Amino acid sequence: MFNSRKTSRLLASPYIAWAMIFIIVPLGMILFYGLTDESGAFTFANIAAIAEPVHLRSLILALILSVISTVICFFLAYPLGMILARNKLSSQGIITTLFILPMWMNFLLRTLAWMTLLENKGVINGVLDFIGLPEINVINTPGAIVLGMVYNFLPFMILPIYNSLSSIDDNVINAARDLGADAVQTFFKVTLPLTVPGIISGITMVFIPALTTFAISTMLGGSKILLIGNIIEQEFTLSYDWNLGAGLSIVLMVFIVINMVVSALSDKKGEDR
Amino acid sequence: MRSRIEKIYMGIILVFMYAPIATLIVLSFNGSKSRARWGGFTFKWYINLFGDDKILNALANTLIIALISTVVATIIGTLTCVGLMGLKRRSRAFIMGITNIPMINADIVTGISLMLLFKVLRFGTGFVTVLLAHVTFNIPYVLLAVMPRMKTINPNVYEAALDLGAEPFYAFRKSVLPDLMPAVLSGALMAFTMSLDDFIITYFTKGSGFDTLSTKIYNEVKRGIQPEIYALSSIIFVVVIVLLVTSSMIKGRQGTGAKKKVSLYKVEKKITSGQAFAIGAVTVFIIMLGLYFGGVFARKSNQLFVYNAGEYIDPKVIDMFEAETGIDVIYDEFETLEIMYAKMVQDDSAYDVICPSDYMIAKMIDNGMLRELDLDAIPNRKYIGEQYLESAKSFDPENKYSVPYCWGTVGILYNKNMVEEPVTSWDILWNKKYAGQILMQDSIRDAFMVAEKRRGYSLNTTDPDELSKAADDLIAQRPLVQAYVIDQARDKMIGGEAALAVIYSGEVIYTQRENPDLAYSVPDEGSNVWIDGWVVTKHARNPEAAMKWIDFLCRPEIALMNFDFITYSSPNTAARELIEDEAIRNSEVAFPSEEVLERCDTYSYLGEDGDALYNDMWKKVKSGG
Repeated sequence: MFNSRKTSRLLASPYIAWAMIFIIVPLGMILFYGLTDESGAFTFANIAAIAEPVHLRSLILALILSVISTVICFFLAYPLGMILARNKLSSQGIITTLFILPMWMNFLLRTLAWMTLLENKGVINGVLDFIGLPEINVINTPGAIVLGMVYNFLPFMILPIYNSLSSIDDNVINAARDLGADAVQTFFKVTLPLTVPGIISGITMVFIPALTTFAISTMLGGSKILLIGNIIEQEFTLSYDWNLGAGLSIVLMVFIVINMVVSALSDKKGEDR
Repeated sequence: MRSRIEKIYMGIILVFMYAPIATLIVLSFNGSKSRARWGGFTFKWYINLFGDDKILNALANTLIIALISTVVATIIGTLTCVGLMGLKRRSRAFIMGITNIPMINADIVTGISLMLLFKVLRFGTGFVTVLLAHVTFNIPYVLLAVMPRMKTINPNVYEAALDLGAEPFYAFRKSVLPDLMPAVLSGALMAFTMSLDDFIITYFTKGSGFDTLSTKIYNEVKRGIQPEIYALSSIIFVVVIVLLVTSSMIKGRQGTGAKKKVSLYKVEKKITSGQAFAIGAVTVFIIMLGLYFGGVFARKSNQLFVYNAGEYIDPKVIDMFEAETGIDVIYDEFETLEIMYAKMVQDDSAYDVICPSDYMIAKMIDNGMLRELDLDAIPNRKYIGEQYLESAKSFDPENKYSVPYCWGTVGILYNKNMVEEPVTSWDILWNKKYAGQILMQDSIRDAFMVAEKRRGYSLNTTDPDELSKAADDLIAQRPLVQAYVIDQARDKMIGGEAALAVIYSGEVIYTQRENPDLAYSVPDEGSNVWIDGWVVTKHARNPEAAMKWIDFLCRPEIALMNFDFITYSSPNTAARELIEDEAIRNSEVAFPSEEVLERCDTYSYLGEDGDALYNDMWKKVKSGG
């Protein structure tokens, strides 16, 4: 099995066939639809359409909101990861599980919870009203969407950062301290560089879904705020312009590739150190 | 000191993560539908939930899809890992590269790409397509979990087993698999989680008549939040906690907390026969549950696929129809006509019988999507008032394709406590005083109608100048609008969330019943009068049943049941006479006077170019200019 090429091929072939049919071919179809018009003639118009103000604005807004969400997630998750990693020996598992557990709740239920909280006559305003404070108005604003993104994707940031932090050998830290580095130096010269791969994978796991979401913006934005994900979704479910929808998806894929390249580069840098 | 800060920090994040969930749980016992008020302790949402076949159905589908896709993905993924070890390094890297694509790619792109594939292959969307999609995105999770462990396995052990006379499979099972098992299980768990949680990919690949929990909740939420969903959340949360606690208890008993050491030959965790039995039992239970509730293996004969607007029928009517005819009704709801149309373009045999409005009926006739009705099979059509059939000729010239179901006007629903001046003009929707208090319709024609009528244009204008002026007005209005909604408008107005809403007259009686402060007005500039009718699609798989359906709905007592439930004006004159409450029978809202109707027009179909123009303008409005 391990040295018979024939058996190996046989074992791997179902997946190779599967990947061809359900991964490669569908991507080819997106390229095909994105690069043709209704009559099937070749065109770049569907991709160039991203420059239209409507599309460009929704893309820029999506970029801004997803970058903000990613940054917030990072600054919330990193200290938490350190705390969890430091306590790894004492209360194994349970505490960490607590931070991951909301992931098992359905994604839409998690978002629904925030809808309920933030509404004008929702729970938060009900409580504020009760204790005599002025009501807040957050629902249907970009702020609500950022909140929804942070809430939904935070576990995806915690998990890889925690993993990379807890796999640091304590001796490395001790060595740095023995050699005279103070806590801050140790953190910036040792801990942080060693966790770069975890940070990168956390950023990817938060940034990409945040950039391309349409459910969160629909539910917490009151259909008032269109992100690029909403535009693409509507091309398929509302305007049935599949070519344009596929063209804009190709643009999204460009951002995904950029993210991949950036993370591959910084991954290398992390290894060099 | 430091540990206290740490604890406080962890506490804050835990509160942030669990407060919303706790809120859902508390609200699931709240007797009042309002989110801001406690209306006493109740179990009624739980009782309602267990009476709701559709949600249970979606739950069963979710579990079945997650289970089957996990098992298939785990088997394929593990086999592949074993196979990859024997391949050249370069082909291994290539395959792992492909495997990374669904992991890194955005869900929306993966979903769309699979949708295009199924469309081109002419795959009937539904259970099978969702399952294929889930297996596709699950295999990578298994591969990425198993592969690192696979690399640490010493092939010599396997070789030794072979040398000692073991059959290849036996040798694999005894020497390799035990070492691999923890990784396989964690891959499977990951796959199961992802499958349960997926929304976007399912959304694009599910087709008609099939829902998982995610897509079901998405639809429900867009319609306004039902407390039953809170009950569902609490149940899911409790089940998840129980599962986690049990599994960590089992782990705790076995591992005795010692720190794991990586060893090539030491089996980290063996599955005892008891656990294997438990996993098997759970699997069987889920499958039984799916068989019982799921639309998964439902029989395919004598089904009728019905596509209707949200909350546009008394659910009891569907049950009665099924009981009487033995036809199995698969009932789906669309949010807007445009969404319905896009769906029918995607799959022209997705539904047998649909209930669109006037201009959309014309568009579908124009595009050859409808089938002539067999009027002999619909004798009860005689109860439909002559004047309504006459009006229907504006979009269906010979009354060949449609039978009127409901009709009404579009106007402004307002809260008398929040709006001081009389509501007689659309202008009030541009009044800065009501910033953040206005709900607009999230549907293209109705939104533009408001702006067009306000400027005195025709609501069917395709003049680019007029349209762009109307669009500019809507853009100027956008900062004042609280949200663009459809079915949610009703609940939000009842709950006092907003002061003014553009709404269909049919919602008025119901909302006033729930909140007497609400009033309705059709502005002086005029508005839209619409007729919705049942049509049968050209490629309907069960046209006979579709005709029976339409005939059934035309029965006066059935039409009356529907009227009582949805409170939309019925063109069924016999049914109107059966209305007992005189105030409602003569209601100016449900049955407006000639004077009101005179200033209202119907929408007509604007042609492909007109539609494209409206679509473009609408996108502009929604994105703020």
